Amino acid sequence: MNAIECKNLTHYYDKKLVYENLNFSVKEGSILGLLGKNGTGKTTTINILNGFLQPQNGECLIYGENTQKLSPQNKARIGFLIEGHVQYAFMNIHQIEKFYSKFYPKWDNEPYWELLSKLQVSPKQKISTMSCGQRSQVALGLILAQDPDLLILDDFSMGLDPGYRRLFIDYLREYAKEKNKTIFTTSHIIQDMERLIDDLLIMDFNRVLAQRDVKSFMQEFKQFYLELENPTIDISNEDFVVNSEKVSNKLELYTYESEDTILNFLKNNGIAHKNFRQVEMGLEDAFIGLTGKY
Amino acid sequence: MWKSILYKEWLKIRWFAIIYAALGVLVVGNIFLKVQHDFEFSQAANYWYSILFQGNRFYEYSLFKFLPLVGALVIAMAQYFPETVNKRIKLTFHLPLNENKALLVMMFFGAFCLLAIAAVIMLLFTLLSLAYFPAEIIQSALISVVPWFLCGFVVYFLTALIVLEPVWKYRFLYLLVAATFVPIYLQTAAAGAYSPALPLLIVFGVLLSVALLFSGYRFRKGEM
Repeated sequence: MNAIECKNLTHYYDKKLVYENLNFSVKEGSILGLLGKNGTGKTTTINILNGFLQPQNGECLIYGENTQKLSPQNKARIGFLIEGHVQYAFMNIHQIEKFYSKFYPKWDNEPYWELLSKLQVSPKQKISTMSCGQRSQVALGLILAQDPDLLILDDFSMGLDPGYRRLFIDYLREYAKEKNKTIFTTSHIIQDMERLIDDLLIMDFNRVLAQRDVKSFMQEFKQFYLELENPTIDISNEDFVVNSEKVSNKLELYTYESEDTILNFLKNNGIAHKNFRQVEMGLEDAFIGLTGKY
Repeated sequence: MWKSILYKEWLKIRWFAIIYAALGVLVVGNIFLKVQHDFEFSQAANYWYSILFQGNRFYEYSLFKFLPLVGALVIAMAQYFPETVNKRIKLTFHLPLNENKALLVMMFFGAFCLLAIAAVIMLLFTLLSLAYFPAEIIQSALISVVPWFLCGFVVYFLTALIVLEPVWKYRFLYLLVAATFVPIYLQTAAAGAYSPALPLLIVFGVLLSVALLFSGYRFRKGEM
Protein backbone atom coordinates (compact mmCIF):
# COMPACT_ATOMS: atom_id res chain seq x y z
CA MET A 1 0.00 0.00 0.00
CA ASN A 2 1.14 3.55 -0.69
CA ALA A 3 1.65 6.02 2.13
CA ILE A 4 1.84 8.90 -0.36
CA GLU A 5 0.28 9.14 -3.76
CA CYS A 6 0.54 12.26 -5.92
CA LYS A 7 -1.41 12.38 -9.15
CA ASN A 8 -1.07 14.82 -12.05
CA LEU A 9 0.49 17.56 -9.96
CA THR A 10 0.87 20.80 -11.85
CA HIS A 11 2.10 23.99 -10.30
CA TYR A 12 3.15 27.44 -11.45
CA TYR A 13 4.53 30.44 -9.57
CA ASP A 14 2.87 33.22 -11.57
CA LYS A 15 3.78 32.11 -15.08
CA LYS A 16 6.84 30.05 -14.15
CA LEU A 17 6.07 26.37 -14.50
CA VAL A 18 7.47 24.25 -11.68
CA TYR A 19 6.15 20.93 -13.00
CA GLU A 20 3.31 19.54 -15.03
CA ASN A 21 1.46 16.27 -14.48
CA LEU A 22 3.93 14.97 -11.91
CA ASN A 23 3.01 11.52 -10.62
CA PHE A 24 4.76 9.61 -7.89
CA SER A 25 4.01 7.37 -4.96
CA VAL A 26 5.82 6.23 -1.83
CA LYS A 27 5.28 2.68 -0.62
CA GLU A 28 4.70 2.10 3.07
CA GLY A 29 7.95 1.17 4.80
CA SER A 30 10.20 2.67 2.13
CA ILE A 31 12.53 5.68 2.24
CA LEU A 32 12.22 7.91 -0.79
CA GLY A 33 14.63 10.75 -1.53
CA LEU A 34 13.48 13.63 -3.69
CA LEU A 35 16.57 14.98 -5.44
CA GLY A 36 16.89 17.95 -7.68
CA LYS A 37 18.84 21.12 -8.23
CA ASN A 38 17.70 24.35 -6.60
CA GLY A 39 14.44 25.57 -8.07
CA THR A 40 13.22 22.26 -9.44
CA GLY A 41 10.32 22.03 -7.00
CA LYS A 42 11.52 20.06 -3.99
CA THR A 43 10.18 22.45 -1.36
CA THR A 44 7.08 23.06 -3.47
CA THR A 45 6.35 19.34 -3.32
CA ILE A 46 6.95 19.23 0.44
CA ASN A 47 4.62 22.21 0.91
CA ILE A 48 1.90 20.53 -1.15
CA LEU A 49 2.33 17.34 0.88
CA ASN A 50 1.92 19.24 4.13
CA GLY A 51 -1.07 21.22 2.93
CA PHE A 52 0.77 24.56 2.89
CA LEU A 53 0.36 25.02 -0.83
CA GLN A 54 -2.53 24.29 -3.11
CA PRO A 55 -1.36 22.96 -6.49
CA GLN A 56 -2.94 24.47 -9.59
CA ASN A 57 -3.92 20.99 -10.65
CA GLY A 58 -3.79 17.43 -9.38
CA GLU A 59 -3.73 16.17 -5.83
CA CYS A 60 -1.62 14.40 -3.25
CA LEU A 61 -3.06 11.79 -0.94
CA ILE A 62 -1.50 10.70 2.35
CA TYR A 63 -3.01 7.51 3.67
CA GLY A 64 -5.87 8.12 1.24
CA GLU A 65 -6.67 11.67 2.40
CA ASN A 66 -6.19 14.77 0.27
CA THR A 67 -3.29 16.72 1.78
CA GLN A 68 -5.25 19.97 1.51
CA LYS A 69 -7.74 18.61 4.04
CA LEU A 70 -5.82 16.33 6.35
CA SER A 71 -7.76 15.25 9.41
CA PRO A 72 -6.15 15.68 12.86
CA GLN A 73 -5.97 11.87 13.16
CA ASN A 74 -4.00 11.64 9.94
CA LYS A 75 -1.73 14.56 10.89
CA ALA A 76 -0.85 12.71 14.08
CA ARG A 77 0.58 9.93 11.87
CA ILE A 78 2.92 12.35 10.07
CA GLY A 79 6.18 13.69 11.48
CA PHE A 80 7.28 16.87 9.75
CA LEU A 81 10.76 18.37 9.79
CA ILE A 82 10.85 21.92 8.45
CA GLU A 83 13.84 23.06 6.41
CA GLY A 84 16.49 24.39 8.80
CA HIS A 85 15.20 22.25 11.72
CA VAL A 86 12.84 25.04 12.70
CA GLN A 87 11.21 24.60 16.09
CA TYR A 88 9.70 26.84 18.77
CA ALA A 89 12.92 28.65 19.65
CA PHE A 90 11.36 30.44 22.65
CA MET A 91 10.96 27.12 24.47
CA ASN A 92 13.65 25.20 26.29
CA ILE A 93 14.20 21.51 25.60
CA HIS A 94 12.12 20.42 28.58
CA GLN A 95 9.22 22.74 27.72
CA ILE A 96 9.09 21.69 24.07
CA GLU A 97 8.94 17.99 24.99
CA LYS A 98 6.16 18.73 27.46
CA PHE A 99 4.32 20.77 24.82
CA TYR A 100 4.34 18.16 22.04
CA SER A 101 3.74 15.16 24.31
CA LYS A 102 0.09 16.13 24.81
CA PHE A 103 -0.73 15.97 21.10
CA TYR A 104 0.36 12.48 20.17
CA PRO A 105 -1.18 9.32 21.60
CA LYS A 106 1.93 7.21 20.92
CA TRP A 107 4.34 9.75 22.47
CA ASP A 108 7.48 8.09 23.83
CA ASN A 109 10.05 10.53 25.22
CA GLU A 110 12.86 7.96 25.49
CA PRO A 111 14.40 8.48 22.02
CA TYR A 112 14.18 12.27 22.55
CA TRP A 113 16.15 12.26 25.79
CA GLU A 114 18.51 9.59 24.45
CA LEU A 115 19.43 11.80 21.49
CA LEU A 116 19.76 14.90 23.64
CA SER A 117 21.97 13.08 26.13
CA LYS A 118 24.60 13.05 23.37
CA LEU A 119 24.60 16.88 23.37
CA GLN A 120 26.17 19.21 25.87
CA VAL A 121 22.88 20.88 26.78
CA SER A 122 20.87 21.29 29.97
CA PRO A 123 17.08 20.73 30.13
CA LYS A 124 16.59 24.45 30.72
CA GLN A 125 18.58 25.53 27.69
CA LYS A 126 16.51 27.53 25.25
CA ILE A 127 16.41 26.28 21.68
CA SER A 128 17.23 29.78 20.44
CA THR A 129 20.66 29.52 22.14
CA MET A 130 21.57 26.21 20.50
CA SER A 131 23.72 25.59 17.45
CA CYS A 132 22.15 24.42 14.22
CA GLY A 133 23.46 20.91 14.86
CA GLN A 134 21.97 20.78 18.35
CA ARG A 135 18.65 22.08 17.05
CA SER A 136 18.64 19.32 14.45
CA GLN A 137 18.86 16.75 17.22
CA VAL A 138 16.00 18.40 19.10
CA ALA A 139 13.85 18.38 15.95
CA LEU A 140 14.73 14.79 15.16
CA GLY A 141 14.21 13.68 18.78
CA LEU A 142 10.74 15.23 18.79
CA ILE A 143 9.79 13.42 15.60
CA LEU A 144 11.05 10.10 16.94
CA ALA A 145 9.16 10.61 20.21
CA GLN A 146 6.01 11.30 18.21
CA ASP A 147 6.45 7.85 16.67
CA PRO A 148 4.79 8.78 13.36
CA ASP A 149 4.11 6.30 10.57
CA LEU A 150 5.34 8.73 7.91
CA LEU A 151 8.22 11.20 8.23
CA ILE A 152 8.44 14.14 5.84
CA LEU A 153 11.86 15.77 6.07
CA ASP A 154 12.62 18.97 4.19
CA ASP A 155 16.35 19.33 3.55
CA PHE A 156 17.42 17.75 6.83
CA SER A 157 21.12 18.31 6.13
CA MET A 158 20.89 22.09 5.88
CA GLY A 159 23.37 23.79 8.19
CA LEU A 160 24.70 20.57 9.71
CA ASP A 161 28.35 19.70 9.98
CA PRO A 162 29.43 16.22 8.78
CA GLY A 163 29.30 14.68 12.27
CA TYR A 164 25.73 15.75 12.97
CA ARG A 165 24.69 14.73 9.45
CA ARG A 166 26.06 11.26 9.99
CA LEU A 167 24.42 11.03 13.44
CA PHE A 168 21.11 12.17 12.00
CA ILE A 169 21.17 9.73 9.09
CA ASP A 170 22.35 6.68 11.00
CA TYR A 171 19.82 7.20 13.76
CA LEU A 172 17.03 7.83 11.27
CA ARG A 173 17.71 4.84 9.03
CA GLU A 174 17.99 2.43 11.93
CA TYR A 175 14.78 3.77 13.43
CA ALA A 176 12.88 3.62 10.13
CA LYS A 177 13.94 0.10 9.25
CA GLU A 178 13.43 -1.27 12.74
CA LYS A 179 9.92 0.16 13.02
CA ASN A 180 8.86 -0.07 9.37
CA LYS A 181 8.43 3.69 8.99
CA THR A 182 7.96 5.51 5.69
CA ILE A 183 10.20 8.49 4.95
CA PHE A 184 9.89 11.14 2.27
CA THR A 185 12.91 13.38 2.29
CA THR A 186 14.85 15.99 0.39
CA SER A 187 18.45 17.01 0.88
CA HIS A 188 20.81 19.11 -1.15
CA ILE A 189 23.71 16.90 -0.06
CA ILE A 190 23.36 13.82 -2.22
CA GLN A 191 26.06 11.84 -0.38
CA ASP A 192 23.76 11.85 2.66
CA MET A 193 20.96 10.35 0.65
CA GLU A 194 23.11 7.46 -0.45
CA ARG A 195 23.30 6.17 3.12
CA LEU A 196 19.63 6.72 3.78
CA ILE A 197 17.22 6.14 0.90
CA ASP A 198 15.78 3.07 -0.83
CA ASP A 199 14.10 4.85 -3.72
CA LEU A 200 14.82 8.08 -5.52
CA LEU A 201 12.91 10.62 -7.49
CA ILE A 202 15.20 12.95 -9.44
CA MET A 203 13.60 16.12 -10.72
CA ASP A 204 14.85 18.58 -13.26
CA PHE A 205 13.20 21.79 -14.36
CA ASN A 206 9.63 20.84 -15.43
CA ARG A 207 10.25 17.07 -15.58
CA VAL A 208 11.16 13.88 -13.75
CA LEU A 209 14.52 12.38 -14.76
CA ALA A 210 14.40 9.18 -12.74
CA GLN A 211 11.99 7.48 -10.39
CA ARG A 212 13.12 4.07 -9.19
CA ASP A 213 14.96 2.17 -6.48
CA VAL A 214 18.50 3.37 -5.79
CA LYS A 215 20.11 -0.05 -6.18
CA SER A 216 18.89 -0.71 -9.72
CA PHE A 217 19.55 2.90 -10.70
CA MET A 218 23.17 2.65 -9.55
CA GLN A 219 23.58 -0.66 -11.38
CA GLU A 220 22.09 0.53 -14.65
CA PHE A 221 23.22 4.13 -14.86
CA LYS A 222 26.85 4.27 -15.93
CA GLN A 223 29.63 6.67 -16.65
CA PHE A 224 32.25 5.97 -19.34
CA TYR A 225 35.41 7.92 -19.94
CA LEU A 226 37.23 8.04 -23.27
CA GLU A 227 39.61 10.24 -25.19
CA LEU A 228 38.66 10.95 -28.78
CA GLU A 229 41.24 11.01 -31.54
CA ASN A 230 39.17 13.68 -33.24
CA PRO A 231 37.88 16.13 -30.61
CA THR A 232 35.35 17.70 -32.99
CA ILE A 233 33.19 14.56 -33.02
CA ASP A 234 29.93 15.11 -31.15
CA ILE A 235 27.85 12.15 -29.98
CA SER A 236 25.83 14.00 -27.35
CA ASN A 237 22.64 13.75 -29.42
CA GLU A 238 22.70 9.98 -29.76
CA ASP A 239 19.68 8.23 -28.24
CA PHE A 240 21.68 6.22 -25.72
CA VAL A 241 23.47 9.29 -24.33
CA VAL A 242 21.68 10.62 -21.26
CA ASN A 243 24.27 13.31 -20.71
CA SER A 244 27.85 14.03 -21.71
CA GLU A 245 30.58 16.42 -20.67
CA LYS A 246 33.46 17.13 -23.05
CA VAL A 247 36.66 19.05 -22.30
CA SER A 248 38.88 19.16 -25.45
CA ASN A 249 39.11 15.45 -26.44
CA LYS A 250 38.20 14.04 -23.03
CA LEU A 251 34.64 12.78 -22.96
CA GLU A 252 32.50 11.73 -19.99
CA LEU A 253 29.50 9.79 -21.17
CA TYR A 254 26.45 8.97 -19.04
CA THR A 255 24.12 6.23 -20.22
CA TYR A 256 21.89 3.34 -19.25
CA GLU A 257 23.43 1.19 -22.00
CA SER A 258 26.08 -1.49 -21.47
CA GLU A 259 29.80 -1.13 -22.15
CA ASP A 260 29.48 -3.47 -25.17
CA THR A 261 26.77 -1.33 -26.72
CA ILE A 262 28.90 1.80 -26.43
CA LEU A 263 32.02 0.09 -27.78
CA ASN A 264 30.04 -1.36 -30.72
CA PHE A 265 28.63 2.07 -31.49
CA LEU A 266 32.09 3.63 -31.48
CA LYS A 267 33.45 0.83 -33.68
CA ASN A 268 30.53 0.80 -36.13
CA ASN A 269 30.80 4.56 -36.60
CA GLY A 270 34.57 4.55 -36.95
CA ILE A 271 35.10 6.80 -33.94
CA ALA A 272 38.75 6.39 -32.96
CA HIS A 273 39.40 6.65 -29.25
CA LYS A 274 41.69 5.55 -26.47
CA ASN A 275 41.68 5.00 -22.69
CA PHE A 276 38.04 3.86 -22.72
CA ARG A 277 36.90 2.80 -19.26
CA GLN A 278 33.85 2.66 -17.01
CA VAL A 279 34.08 5.04 -14.07
CA GLU A 280 32.78 4.00 -10.65
CA MET A 281 30.13 6.41 -9.45
CA GLY A 282 28.59 7.34 -6.13
CA LEU A 283 25.02 8.66 -6.01
CA GLU A 284 26.28 12.24 -6.18
CA ASP A 285 28.27 11.51 -9.36
CA ALA A 286 25.23 9.80 -10.85
CA PHE A 287 23.02 12.73 -9.90
CA ILE A 288 25.39 15.22 -11.57
CA GLY A 289 25.72 12.87 -14.54
CA LEU A 290 21.98 12.79 -14.95
CA THR A 291 21.17 16.44 -14.31
CA GLY A 292 24.33 18.04 -15.68
CA LYS A 293 26.75 20.35 -13.95
CA TYR A 294 24.83 23.52 -14.82
CA MET B 1 -4.12 19.33 23.69
CA TRP B 2 -5.76 22.73 23.89
CA LYS B 3 -4.08 23.31 27.24
CA SER B 4 -0.77 22.77 25.46
CA ILE B 5 -1.62 25.52 22.97
CA LEU B 6 -2.39 27.84 25.90
CA TYR B 7 0.93 26.83 27.48
CA LYS B 8 2.80 27.75 24.28
CA GLU B 9 1.04 31.11 24.04
CA TRP B 10 1.72 31.86 27.71
CA LEU B 11 5.42 31.11 27.27
CA LYS B 12 5.57 33.71 24.49
CA ILE B 13 3.70 36.54 26.18
CA ARG B 14 4.12 36.01 29.91
CA TRP B 15 6.77 38.69 30.60
CA PHE B 16 5.09 41.23 28.36
CA ALA B 17 1.71 40.57 29.98
CA ILE B 18 3.16 40.91 33.48
CA ILE B 19 4.95 44.16 32.58
CA TYR B 20 1.78 45.55 30.96
CA ALA B 21 -0.28 44.70 34.07
CA ALA B 22 2.36 46.19 36.37
CA LEU B 23 2.48 49.38 34.29
CA GLY B 24 -1.31 49.62 34.46
CA VAL B 25 -1.23 49.36 38.25
CA LEU B 26 1.52 52.00 38.40
CA VAL B 27 -0.51 54.38 36.22
CA VAL B 28 -3.58 53.99 38.47
CA GLY B 29 -1.35 54.54 41.49
CA ASN B 30 0.08 57.66 39.92
CA ILE B 31 -3.38 59.06 39.15
CA PHE B 32 -4.58 58.62 42.71
CA LEU B 33 -1.41 59.97 44.26
CA LYS B 34 -2.17 63.17 42.40
CA VAL B 35 -5.86 63.01 43.40
CA GLN B 36 -4.86 62.56 47.03
CA HIS B 37 -2.48 65.49 46.68
CA ASP B 38 -5.24 67.72 45.29
CA PHE B 39 -7.62 66.60 48.02
CA GLU B 40 -5.09 67.55 50.67
CA PHE B 41 -4.56 71.02 49.30
CA SER B 42 -8.14 71.90 48.21
CA GLN B 43 -11.39 71.31 49.99
CA ALA B 44 -13.16 68.22 48.64
CA ALA B 45 -16.19 70.31 47.68
CA ASN B 46 -14.02 72.75 45.74
CA TYR B 47 -12.20 69.94 44.09
CA TRP B 48 -15.41 68.23 42.97
CA TYR B 49 -16.74 71.57 41.77
CA SER B 50 -13.65 72.13 39.66
CA ILE B 51 -13.98 68.63 38.22
CA LEU B 52 -17.64 69.20 37.35
CA PHE B 53 -16.78 72.59 35.92
CA GLN B 54 -14.20 70.90 33.68
CA GLY B 55 -16.75 68.37 32.44
CA ASN B 56 -16.34 65.64 35.02
CA ARG B 57 -12.69 65.03 34.19
CA PHE B 58 -10.72 64.36 37.27
CA TYR B 59 -7.00 64.37 37.22
CA GLU B 60 -5.34 62.88 34.19
CA TYR B 61 -7.02 59.56 33.83
CA SER B 62 -6.04 60.23 30.21
CA LEU B 63 -2.75 58.70 31.33
CA PHE B 64 -4.63 55.52 30.37
CA LYS B 65 -5.15 56.64 26.84
CA PHE B 66 -2.30 54.90 25.07
CA LEU B 67 -1.54 52.22 27.63
CA PRO B 68 -3.98 49.57 26.30
CA LEU B 69 -2.88 50.31 22.74
CA VAL B 70 0.80 49.82 23.53
CA GLY B 71 0.10 46.82 25.79
CA ALA B 72 -1.99 45.11 23.10
CA LEU B 73 0.52 45.88 20.37
CA VAL B 74 3.37 44.41 22.41
CA ILE B 75 1.41 41.30 23.41
CA ALA B 76 0.22 40.68 19.83
CA MET B 77 3.76 41.08 18.48
CA ALA B 78 5.13 38.77 21.18
CA GLN B 79 2.49 36.20 20.35
CA TYR B 80 2.40 36.25 16.54
CA PHE B 81 5.80 37.48 15.38
CA PRO B 82 7.66 34.33 16.58
CA GLU B 83 5.18 32.28 14.53
CA THR B 84 6.23 34.05 11.35
CA VAL B 85 10.00 33.73 11.85
CA ASN B 86 11.06 30.92 9.51
CA LYS B 87 7.33 30.35 8.89
CA ARG B 88 7.11 28.67 12.28
CA ILE B 89 3.32 28.82 12.07
CA LYS B 90 3.67 25.66 9.96
CA LEU B 91 4.45 23.81 13.18
CA THR B 92 1.14 24.90 14.69
CA PHE B 93 -0.78 24.06 11.53
CA HIS B 94 0.81 20.63 11.46
CA LEU B 95 -0.37 19.77 14.98
CA PRO B 96 -3.19 17.22 15.02
CA LEU B 97 -5.80 19.93 15.44
CA ASN B 98 -8.17 21.82 13.20
CA GLU B 99 -6.05 24.74 11.93
CA ASN B 100 -8.78 27.38 12.34
CA LYS B 101 -9.59 26.22 15.85
CA ALA B 102 -5.89 26.40 16.75
CA LEU B 103 -5.72 30.02 15.53
CA LEU B 104 -8.92 30.91 17.36
CA VAL B 105 -7.64 29.42 20.61
CA MET B 106 -4.42 31.44 20.23
CA MET B 107 -6.47 34.58 19.61
CA PHE B 108 -8.90 33.95 22.49
CA PHE B 109 -6.01 33.40 24.86
CA GLY B 110 -4.31 36.68 23.88
CA ALA B 111 -7.64 38.54 24.09
CA PHE B 112 -8.41 36.92 27.44
CA CYS B 113 -5.06 38.09 28.85
CA LEU B 114 -5.80 41.64 27.65
CA LEU B 115 -9.26 41.42 29.19
CA ALA B 116 -7.89 40.14 32.49
CA ILE B 117 -5.32 42.94 32.68
CA ALA B 118 -7.92 45.54 31.69
CA ALA B 119 -10.26 44.16 34.39
CA VAL B 120 -7.57 44.44 37.06
CA ILE B 121 -6.72 48.01 36.06
CA MET B 122 -10.36 49.11 35.78
CA LEU B 123 -11.30 47.46 39.06
CA LEU B 124 -8.44 49.13 40.87
CA PHE B 125 -9.33 52.44 39.25
CA THR B 126 -13.00 52.10 40.24
CA LEU B 127 -12.29 51.02 43.82
CA LEU B 128 -9.88 53.91 44.43
CA SER B 129 -12.29 56.34 42.77
CA LEU B 130 -15.04 55.28 45.17
CA ALA B 131 -12.93 56.60 48.02
CA TYR B 132 -12.90 60.11 46.54
CA PHE B 133 -15.78 60.68 44.13
CA PRO B 134 -19.51 60.26 43.74
CA ALA B 135 -20.85 57.60 41.38
CA GLU B 136 -21.80 60.06 38.58
CA ILE B 137 -18.22 61.25 38.17
CA ILE B 138 -16.86 57.70 38.26
CA GLN B 139 -19.42 56.48 35.73
CA SER B 140 -18.59 59.18 33.20
CA ALA B 141 -14.87 58.58 33.76
CA LEU B 142 -15.30 54.86 33.06
CA ILE B 143 -17.29 55.56 29.89
CA SER B 144 -14.37 57.71 28.72
CA VAL B 145 -11.80 55.05 29.56
CA VAL B 146 -13.62 52.06 28.02
CA PRO B 147 -12.99 53.01 24.35
CA TRP B 148 -9.26 53.15 25.07
CA PHE B 149 -9.35 49.61 26.37
CA LEU B 150 -11.54 48.59 23.41
CA CYS B 151 -8.85 50.17 21.27
CA GLY B 152 -6.41 47.69 22.81
CA PHE B 153 -8.49 44.76 21.55
CA VAL B 154 -8.86 46.29 18.08
CA VAL B 155 -5.10 46.86 17.89
CA TYR B 156 -4.49 43.29 19.07
CA PHE B 157 -6.78 41.76 16.40
CA LEU B 158 -5.41 43.98 13.62
CA THR B 159 -1.80 43.24 14.62
CA ALA B 160 -2.53 39.50 14.48
CA LEU B 161 -4.06 39.94 11.02
CA ILE B 162 -1.12 42.02 9.77
CA VAL B 163 1.67 39.92 11.26
CA LEU B 164 0.28 36.58 10.04
CA GLU B 165 -0.51 37.91 6.55
CA PRO B 166 1.99 36.32 4.13
CA VAL B 167 1.90 39.04 1.42
CA TRP B 168 3.49 42.42 2.11
CA LYS B 169 1.11 44.45 -0.09
CA TYR B 170 -1.84 43.12 1.91
CA ARG B 171 -0.02 43.98 5.10
CA PHE B 172 0.17 47.61 3.94
CA LEU B 173 -3.52 47.51 3.05
CA TYR B 174 -4.42 46.26 6.53
CA LEU B 175 -2.15 48.92 8.05
CA LEU B 176 -4.21 51.53 6.23
CA VAL B 177 -7.38 49.99 7.66
CA ALA B 178 -5.78 50.10 11.11
CA ALA B 179 -4.71 53.73 10.66
CA THR B 180 -8.29 54.60 9.75
CA PHE B 181 -10.12 52.80 12.54
CA VAL B 182 -7.80 52.92 15.54
CA PRO B 183 -7.92 56.75 15.96
CA ILE B 184 -11.73 56.54 16.26
CA TYR B 185 -11.19 54.89 19.64
CA LEU B 186 -8.76 57.56 20.75
CA GLN B 187 -10.67 60.77 20.07
CA THR B 188 -10.30 63.30 22.88
CA ALA B 189 -13.86 63.92 23.93
CA ALA B 190 -15.72 65.22 26.95
CA ALA B 191 -16.23 62.67 29.71
CA GLY B 192 -19.00 60.25 28.81
CA ALA B 193 -19.20 61.52 25.24
CA TYR B 194 -18.45 58.05 23.83
CA SER B 195 -21.62 56.67 25.43
CA PRO B 196 -23.78 56.47 22.24
CA ALA B 197 -20.93 55.07 20.13
CA LEU B 198 -19.81 52.34 22.51
CA PRO B 199 -22.07 49.52 21.18
CA LEU B 200 -20.84 50.12 17.63
CA LEU B 201 -17.20 50.20 18.74
CA ILE B 202 -17.71 46.90 20.59
CA VAL B 203 -19.36 45.27 17.54
CA PHE B 204 -16.46 46.36 15.32
CA GLY B 205 -13.95 44.91 17.77
CA VAL B 206 -15.81 41.59 17.93
CA LEU B 207 -16.01 41.39 14.12
CA LEU B 208 -12.27 41.97 13.88
CA SER B 209 -11.54 39.16 16.31
CA VAL B 210 -11.85 36.47 13.62
CA ALA B 211 -9.89 38.41 10.98
CA LEU B 212 -6.71 36.45 11.63
CA LEU B 213 -8.41 33.36 10.21
CA PHE B 214 -8.21 35.03 6.81
CA SER B 215 -4.43 35.48 7.06
CA GLY B 216 -4.11 31.89 8.31
CA TYR B 217 -6.13 30.59 5.36
CA ARG B 218 -4.05 32.57 2.87
CA PHE B 219 -0.86 31.21 4.43
CA ARG B 220 -2.10 27.63 4.16
CA LYS B 221 -2.97 28.10 0.50
CA GLY B 222 0.62 29.14 -0.17
CA GLU B 223 0.06 32.84 -0.95
CA MET B 224 3.39 34.63 -1.17
